[in-house]
Amino acid sequence: MNLDDAKEILSAYRSDDRDREDPIFREALEQMASDGDLKKWFEEQHAMDRAIRQKLASIEAPADLRARVMAQIRGHEARGRRFTLPPWLAIAACLVLGGFAVFYSRITGPNRFQEFRSEALAMVSKQGGPLLDLETPNLSETQTFLREHQAPCYEALPAALKSMETAGCRAFVWKEHPASLTCFRLPGGQFLHLVVIDQAAVGGANIAVGMKSMGEWHVMFQQKDGMLLMWATRAPMEELKRMFLTASCEWPDLKKPS
Amino acid sequence: MATNLDLESIVSELYSPLYRFAFALSRNETQAADLTQETFLILAKQQAQVRDVTKIKSWLFTTLRREFLRGLRSQSSHPEVELQPEHQDELVVEPAVLRATDASTALEALAQVDESYRMVLELFYLADLSYKEIAATLEIPIGTVMSRLSRGKEQLRVLLAKTEAPAKIAPSPRAGNLPT
Repeated sequence: MNLDDAKEILSAYRSDDRDREDPIFREALEQMASDGDLKKWFEEQHAMDRAIRQKLASIEAPADLRARVMAQIRGHEARGRRFTLPPWLAIAACLVLGGFAVFYSRITGPNRFQEFRSEALAMVSKQGGPLLDLETPNLSETQTFLREHQAPCYEALPAALKSMETAGCRAFVWKEHPASLTCFRLPGGQFLHLVVIDQAAVGGANIAVGMKSMGEWHVMFQQKDGMLLMWATRAPMEELKRMFLTASCEWPDLKKPS
Repeated sequence: MATNLDLESIVSELYSPLYRFAFALSRNETQAADLTQETFLILAKQQAQVRDVTKIKSWLFTTLRREFLRGLRSQSSHPEVELQPEHQDELVVEPAVLRATDASTALEALAQVDESYRMVLELFYLADLSYKEIAATLEIPIGTVMSRLSRGKEQLRVLLAKTEAPAKIAPSPRAGNLPT
């Protein structure tokens, strides 16, 4: 390797810690050990590199740039988590839900429980996903938010649910009763919605436990500590069964899904 | 295939060098910050397509450069109205980052290097990319990177010597050499 070749290769050398092990520099570095001129040139070159890097390092990014970048990324991720529904499917869902509401009211007559179930389902069926007050993947953040807003929040969830990412939550009022919605992301990518309300809000209705299919929705109710828990998802029934089967170890009252 | 990138760590590690690179390209603080944000946002949107995590650094610099060039093309197809010279002077504001004379000197010298060498030098000094990463970013052979680095550095050395020589001959009185 002649002197010019060695210089050309060593021009790309940054520092010992990063480039010393790169075989492309080995021969040139070895040559430097026995060539005083090359060594002198290399030291000068290296000093210039250091000086220029030092000068350029004084270009400082705005103090809030990192935070701005992260906020933008989180905003993008939050938007991505909000599910979108094609308009035709939203109309179909509304028709199906509306049909169910009429069907149920004709058979059993209007009561608070059915009203609550229909309205809760309408809320989670909203095109573009339900409106959320807080968008976060963190369940504990949703629980803190709901507590702060005096919304009912059932915290003794099974581990399988606690470890699940959320899309966010919402605190709302249904017929003067505080209520909450928490949206979990199921492993398959769909959502599992948990609506919680004081049991007194739905009167003394005889609420059937177990899963029910209502159109494209699978719904399940539980009564815990004076609260009514309504679970609703469009995920395949099999996925829901698997999840609640795991949870049934910690929730003995949970019937094995049929 | 990487599906779950640790974006927070990537941002923390690379937002400063990306901003410096963007600033060297645009010479405008706002544009540099926008370019940096836009580049990370593109990464967030396309992270599922990232196949080799080790190439994220050069991917980010490639993307930033592409976005900058895209912006330039867009500006040239929608040219802005020229300001009248007498008003133009009033609107020229020296960016805060360039008030640091050291950076200003280095950037000015870099700007005077032949265009064919400049980008390689900027990626070497501002982005701290290796010759392989520079080759990947600019999509040129490794040998070309090395020869451009070598020639570019030579030009830069001469330019910096010209810039800094007067200071050595006539040091500023503020440096302590008060006339006696």
